[in-house]
Amino acid sequence: MSDANLPSAGPAAGFLAPGDRPAHDAMDRGGEPAPVRDLRVAVVGLGRAGVAHSVMLASLEGCGLVGVADPRRAARAGLRGMGFAAPGFPRVERLLEKVRPDAMIVCAAQDERAGVARAAIDAGVPLLIERPMSRTLAEAEELVELAAARGVPLAVGHPLVYEPLFGRVLDIVRRETLGPLRSARSAMFVSRVFGPHPRRGPDCLDPRRLAGGVVAHLASDLLFLLVQLFGAPAAVRATWNLLYGEVEDELHGMMTLPGGLEVGFDSSWSVPGYPHASTVLELEGRDGKLLASDEAIELELRRPTPGYPTGETFVRNAEIAAPARFDYGGEALWLHDAAFLRWVAGGAAPPNTGAEALRAHRVMDALYRSAAAGGRAVELS
Amino acid sequence: MTRRAYAAPRLLLSARALDGATRATRERLLEIQERFREPKSLAVTFAKSIEAGAEGVLSAPSPLLREALADLEGTIPLFVVLPALQAQDYRLFEPGVEPLLQRARAQAGAASRLRMTWRGLARGAAFRGGDFAARVPLLLEAESHLFPPRGVAGVVIAAPIADVALAGGHRAFFESVARYVRARFRVPAAFETRNPGTMLRRLREWGARPDFVIGPMNPCGLGMKPAEAETLAELARAEVPFVATELRASGLCALDAGARYARAHGAHGLAPDLSEMDEVAVDLKRMRNGGQP
Repeated sequence: MSDANLPSAGPAAGFLAPGDRPAHDAMDRGGEPAPVRDLRVAVVGLGRAGVAHSVMLASLEGCGLVGVADPRRAARAGLRGMGFAAPGFPRVERLLEKVRPDAMIVCAAQDERAGVARAAIDAGVPLLIERPMSRTLAEAEELVELAAARGVPLAVGHPLVYEPLFGRVLDIVRRETLGPLRSARSAMFVSRVFGPHPRRGPDCLDPRRLAGGVVAHLASDLLFLLVQLFGAPAAVRATWNLLYGEVEDELHGMMTLPGGLEVGFDSSWSVPGYPHASTVLELEGRDGKLLASDEAIELELRRPTPGYPTGETFVRNAEIAAPARFDYGGEALWLHDAAFLRWVAGGAAPPNTGAEALRAHRVMDALYRSAAAGGRAVELS
Repeated sequence: MTRRAYAAPRLLLSARALDGATRATRERLLEIQERFREPKSLAVTFAKSIEAGAEGVLSAPSPLLREALADLEGTIPLFVVLPALQAQDYRLFEPGVEPLLQRARAQAGAASRLRMTWRGLARGAAFRGGDFAARVPLLLEAESHLFPPRGVAGVVIAAPIADVALAGGHRAFFESVARYVRARFRVPAAFETRNPGTMLRRLREWGARPDFVIGPMNPCGLGMKPAEAETLAELARAEVPFVATELRASGLCALDAGARYARAHGAHGLAPDLSEMDEVAVDLKRMRNGGQP
């Protein structure tokens, strides 16, 4: 991969954790962040996310899929029909009892995640939960507290920070390449919902069973990235549009950081022209500007910084090293799952620990409260 | 048992950008989709590509494609990618073959449904719910009504299906689907993948022999999973012909350079995409002539 003219930005995803410590600090086989010991991993919930994680586990050296759980017999048969031979169980308790996995990935329905996670934590099994980690903020806080009290590693599914391109953006911002920031805007769009949600079936969006709509399902990943970039805001305000159902299809927010910087946040799953989820970040600082999308980074600097010259730098996504060893919808999920399993095996904590994810969950909750109150400012403690 | 040997194509025009299944940028995809919005413009491009030396067109049998083919007087050899879904449509369904089968069954005509029932009974597929090896052939049967009346030159299983079976280590799927395609449609059977090195390795280990595998290959190594060096090593040992796509690595290199690289490293054929070419006929002719105009 031609990456010679680009600054070194840390291994794997180019991501630098707080304190400039490489997130994947021990690399095997030419950059592969594989677990340091064999791990037996289980997956709970066999919807699209559960299958995607199963695919990743099958392609990660040093780990094996040893069990799955889903109450739907057809879902278990479906995974078996794809070739995965791991035993299936209707209930997580049975899986924990019979299989005793070293780690678990939880992709159950949003309103069931907290219960499944509690069972895993009680059994001392490290877990990665799909985002959001629970339907309510109170449940998320309880889970993080419980995992910390028991010393059980808890991570939450936030693959966007593992996209090599956004890892590069994190690096740029943390090195203060742009100088003190003056403005920041962000957006995440996809063309997905263009009609009323059905009352049943996979597309059913029942607010009693969900944390929310487009933000909970999709753009909370961008919120997590923003919190990693700028820290948690002091206050937020937001408006939303419920176009087709009882959960938001669009949300427009403004987050005020403790230092006064305002960060714009737009999300929608009801705009045409975005067949795949698309993320955009636009930052302006004293020393330059940055525009990043899934496809490229455009950097314009008024003074040189280590690794970047004065003037314009254009880096295409395809130019950035892509170390994942299996592609099932992109780079990020493989790197994300590898980082979690490395942590379980005794390596460094990944950026998406439960405690870090909770910060983003609090911001999401505040945005929802503001939107529900007609755009009133909501302060975060 | 010996099987009839099918030759893998040397040069195809890929229209996968119209299915949203390439690594082209969003703007380029939208541009290409706008340029070929009219079936007539697509039909003209297909005809010119065959004149320029392409052996066929690689695409899912979308309504646009079928309209374009219907506009043509001659026959365009079609390497049809199934399931007939846009890349982004997979997320509308629960994973696995059953939701796709339900959709296809609902859209199929009475004759197709009857054939599905017969094939299902003959293969015992009714008792193997969810099993790719038994049920994907039924899916192909259900979608066969989407084929143009003439000109189907090959059946290619789309990457979202092939790659999940690859991860699952489903050897029987690769063997049974290839066997079914050859026996039922009398054309070559192929698998599309985004993990070419892994796919070639597993097929070699299993002794499975589809007629070809199609996947990314370019001088930048983009998409050559698990890694460029391992993919090249597998290509050197592969017994299954490999047809290279994504030759321009999302625009990082020139088409000629991509073609040279692929040929020099063991690709049997090339399948440049509409999104990678500005002058389709000129570019294809040059590739046909090994880089000469």
